[in-house]
Amino acid sequence: MSKNSSSNKNRIQSIVLAVVLLAVWEGVCRVFAISPIVLPTPSSTIMSLYTLFASGTIWPHLWATLFEILLGFVLGCIAGLVVGAMISLIPAFERLVYPYLVALQTLPKIAIAPLFIIWFGYGLTSKVVITALVCFFPVLVSVIAGFHSTDKDQLDMMKAFGATKWQVLVRLRIPSALVLIFAGLEIAAVLAVIGAIVGEFVGAQVGLGYLVVTLNFSMDVPGVFAVLVVLSVIGLVMHALMRYAARRYIFWIRRSEAPVMT
Amino acid sequence: MIGSSAQLKNRDGERVVDASGKPALIRIVNLEKRFNTRSGETVNALTNVNLDIREGEFISVVGPSGCGKTTLLRILAGLEQATSGVAECAGAQITEPRPDVGVVFQQATLLPWNTVLENVMLPASLRNDKSEAVFTRARGLLAFMGLQDFAKKYPFELSGGMQQRVSICRALMREPRILLMDEPFGALDAMTREAMNMELMRVWSEEKKTVVFITHSIPEAVLLGDRVVVMSPRPGRISEVIDVDVGRPRSLQTMGTPRFGELCDHIRTIFGAQSMTATSL
Repeated sequence: MSKNSSSNKNRIQSIVLAVVLLAVWEGVCRVFAISPIVLPTPSSTIMSLYTLFASGTIWPHLWATLFEILLGFVLGCIAGLVVGAMISLIPAFERLVYPYLVALQTLPKIAIAPLFIIWFGYGLTSKVVITALVCFFPVLVSVIAGFHSTDKDQLDMMKAFGATKWQVLVRLRIPSALVLIFAGLEIAAVLAVIGAIVGEFVGAQVGLGYLVVTLNFSMDVPGVFAVLVVLSVIGLVMHALMRYAARRYIFWIRRSEAPVMT
Repeated sequence: MIGSSAQLKNRDGERVVDASGKPALIRIVNLEKRFNTRSGETVNALTNVNLDIREGEFISVVGPSGCGKTTLLRILAGLEQATSGVAECAGAQITEPRPDVGVVFQQATLLPWNTVLENVMLPASLRNDKSEAVFTRARGLLAFMGLQDFAKKYPFELSGGMQQRVSICRALMREPRILLMDEPFGALDAMTREAMNMELMRVWSEEKKTVVFITHSIPEAVLLGDRVVVMSPRPGRISEVIDVDVGRPRSLQTMGTPRFGELCDHIRTIFGAQSMTATSL
């Protein structure tokens, strides 16, 4: 009860803070007559946002980017889960592929983006692949760390009560791993947005990243800000969805102990 | 009672009978356990351990850390193999966890994603026994431990003492002949610990299990045990086995009786003598 009311209080406080900051921003821009090309006012950003939606300009870009983010995220996570589970459960596989994965991990994925445009074209495929690759590694690492996090005492307990290897896996190791896996999924959800936008920056004909580039070229900075607002809303929603899923599927971790985004 | 001198073998040479005529349920002969450390040294965790445990007996094992008491219990639980020697249960060498043995660990080790009831039923469900009898037994055990209202709760909603009671229920689930307990109350505060001791004596008197109870508390060992096995470290070995000639039922008041004090003092003397020799070395 009291916890709820205090979290409500916090929420009100942060909303008040946002309103104050926006008002200061607006005031500074007007008082010092700052050019909208340098820094648009919040009100002109909101106007641009309204125009983007009212004119319907944004929809094809929004759908394209959402498609890239979601499909890339799902594919990257599936690949991360499968490869991570194989590395954790099949020692021979770990010895075989792990060194290469570490080498690939140290490579900045964004630097490969131009190659992907050559290989997969200007269409959506190249962006989906980049997004999937960006999501793959945090999930992979979290799966491996997750399977290593099995409690030794609980492992002994399962053995003492006659659990088979399969039962140890299903009833202990996988649920134990979920805690860290969800932390990895949370990171991947935010990275997915970055992956899709970077892909579009490098070369695209549609998408919010493409829209940012074209609006920038035409010096429509309020428009750029408006698209940035849309992108951050997408990121927040992705993050909130993962948080919700984590709270539902790893309910035994109290909130204070829940994995925190960095 | 130590060693195999007082034992008699019957014609098939398997069942062992000690001097009192009761069959020894657990027989430990010349048990040795050596570990290799990372630096290449060999540690003698257990050396020349001999012990017979009769059916229905409550054995306390007390000793300082490093005396090998946990290793001994792990060998009895089938979680570890002895380097040499015999560890038998009901005439069969212990090589893997046995279905008629229940284990209680220092940590409650409940599965946090399962309810209290699911945790208690774990030993049965691991053997794919999902019968109505399992359900009834689990419910009965929880009621016996005063936890009937917590069946649908999750472990994180319970206090430490309650979690450990759930883990005792779990160990009793499949009606084991033997209960192995590794410092089960070590992580609890003193008050809860005393309450749990009383609880355990109640369980033992009603369920009549053979119990091997490991502790580093001398009063706890004397209060609970029929016999107290005193172990000492470097190398891990049995220094003495003491018969606790204090009548039952025992209560917390028993701890105030002169005989109880004498036994505790005696055990302290054993440890004291050891630390003296250790310093003189």
